[in-house]
Amino acid sequence: MLEIVSDKSWELLEKCPILNEYDIVKARQIVREFAKKEGMGIVDQTRITTAVSELFRNMFSYASGGEVLIEKGIIEEKPTLIITCIDKGPGIDNIELAMTDGYTSGGGMGYGLPGAKRLVDRFEISSELNKGTTVRVMKWK
Amino acid sequence: MEANTEIKNAKARIEHIEDVLSSVAAGELELRIESDIEDDLTGVEQAINLLIDDLTHELKKSLKMKQEMEEKLHKIQDQQKTILQQQEDLMELSSPVSKVWDNILILPVIGTLDSQRTQIMMENLLQKIVTTGCTTAILDITGVPTVDTQVANHLLKTVTAARLLGAECIVSGISPAIAQTIVHLGINLSQILTKATLQDAMIYSMKKNEQLVDGKVKTNYVDLDDN
Repeated sequence: MLEIVSDKSWELLEKCPILNEYDIVKARQIVREFAKKEGMGIVDQTRITTAVSELFRNMFSYASGGEVLIEKGIIEEKPTLIITCIDKGPGIDNIELAMTDGYTSGGGMGYGLPGAKRLVDRFEISSELNKGTTVRVMKWK
Repeated sequence: MEANTEIKNAKARIEHIEDVLSSVAAGELELRIESDIEDDLTGVEQAINLLIDDLTHELKKSLKMKQEMEEKLHKIQDQQKTILQQQEDLMELSSPVSKVWDNILILPVIGTLDSQRTQIMMENLLQKIVTTGCTTAILDITGVPTVDTQVANHLLKTVTAARLLGAECIVSGISPAIAQTIVHLGINLSQILTKATLQDAMIYSMKKNEQLVDGKVKTNYVDLDDN
């Protein structure tokens, strides 16, 4: 399980629960706002928003919800938006398989996780069966 | 014996205390221990009375708080009902399908495509395709800020369903940022006919229907001047 530790230098911007479809929309709007505030261009805003939308939707569909931490910090000397998705769902049995294009266990297109990874600058995932999954994505300016 | 003479009617008084305590426990908070005799037991009786006073006070306070909480809860529940109602209303309102030209339908999609809304949208579009007999439908997603894999999946399904009814769907209004995002996500939308703007989609449709030939608009309506 990925230790859910935030670097002490990171600043927590927002904490949002994901319990229903409207929370997904609300949370990703908040992420877009912060991306805008950090001075990201429209393409980067769209990328990070779409990436977290995939992650939030996974939390909602597979783990019946979870919690999202939005933080900012300095990664590789660049101002970075850090979004951590924590759920206590069933966990992912085979992460490598889950990260494969076109693989889905739930009737989706199978591009959610690998697609989200391609849209961000750093992607961390860890999962334990019956305990939950934590995914952290970072996008710097 | 001296101890016995100090506490008069001890047995009767203790029984009285027991009675009062059990009544209080049962909810009769107005009862107090009564005694005309002053001796060592009087202190205990008074202490118990004080305790009952405090208990009564606290009980009343918590009862009042409970009432307030319940009122607040009712209010919140009412508000939630309103919100749900509004969401439903919005859902109905948000998927209009209009016939803009002979044989051409337009479905402007605005906001977020969740599963429920997409379902209504698809039903509306398919129904309209059947009732109007149009064979061209334009889905304009200019007003959709985020296209993730779920939205793309919904679009694919809608287009496929329309195709089964014999209608061709064109998706328009994909912004440059969304186009790049779709490419990075890795979704293959090549089965869908897409155009940058609603105007492009409209021109394409009219040309295909031979309603726009050499830059001139033709309609299927009978031109009265010809008669």
